[in-house]
Amino acid sequence: MAVREEIRGCVILTNLHYAVEDHSWANVNDDGTVTIGMTDVAQNMAGSILHAKTKKVGVVRAKGRPIATVESSKWVGPVKTPVSGEIIAVNEEVAKDAEIINRSPYQKGWLVKLKPTNLDAEIAEMLTGDSAVQAYRDKIEKEDLKTCAHVEGFED
Amino acid sequence: MDDFEGKRILVIQTHGVETPTRTYSPLFYAMAAAAMEIETMVWFTMNGTNQLKKGEAEKVQLDLSSDVTLKTMLEQTMDSEVELRVCQQSMALWNMTKEDLIDGVEVLGATSIIDLALNSDHVMYF
Repeated sequence: MAVREEIRGCVILTNLHYAVEDHSWANVNDDGTVTIGMTDVAQNMAGSILHAKTKKVGVVRAKGRPIATVESSKWVGPVKTPVSGEIIAVNEEVAKDAEIINRSPYQKGWLVKLKPTNLDAEIAEMLTGDSAVQAYRDKIEKEDLKTCAHVEGFED
Repeated sequence: MDDFEGKRILVIQTHGVETPTRTYSPLFYAMAAAAMEIETMVWFTMNGTNQLKKGEAEKVQLDLSSDVTLKTMLEQTMDSEVELRVCQQSMALWNMTKEDLIDGVEVLGATSIIDLALNSDHVMYF
């Protein structure tokens, strides 16, 4: 069950797994697939997202490789997958309305789903629960990241 | 999104701080290419050289409603693993020495552009 924590207005859901340095989250689904997205901190740092392009279904990605390119008016960069696997689904809504990532980074703004190839080992390297919250708290304070602002209709 | 992994793009920037509206886009495109895992380099020459002088890029702010300056963009570009190179002869035209350069920029001789261009899959000129 998701517990919602907030650090400088930035939402962290404790049920997800995080690669804090890369600002990505992973959720292991009941069928063993993994959904990947970017965190609330990331969407806030990016600003209003104008375009997002994901890699295609069928592409195999190693952990740490980009699964999407996201661009705002002031930033463009990759979203890296925290786990290895084959992309089995992409979020078509993101291509139509990239701002969905700003509005719903953990729900409707998911980026890709993977069929993982090394899940146990790689998920163990990610942070979840209280450790994820603390790691993000440390990062936000160390880098003095600004308070997260949320667009109208934001949902976590 | 097509897979361009392993490709190389060379961006040539000839505009500098006197034309601020021509400074952001080349860096933005370079970052976009790097995000797509394309090996990307920006070559600064002619007027493009002057934005690399310490203290200059932070004076260029396109959007007054944000705190993003040309310095921010250059730093983000380097953080994106885009390589920055500057023409040594152009530096001389701007009375610049290596000590005047911002960190992270490598100086190459003018004719290096020939090798760089020939070894790239695509060259973008600005």
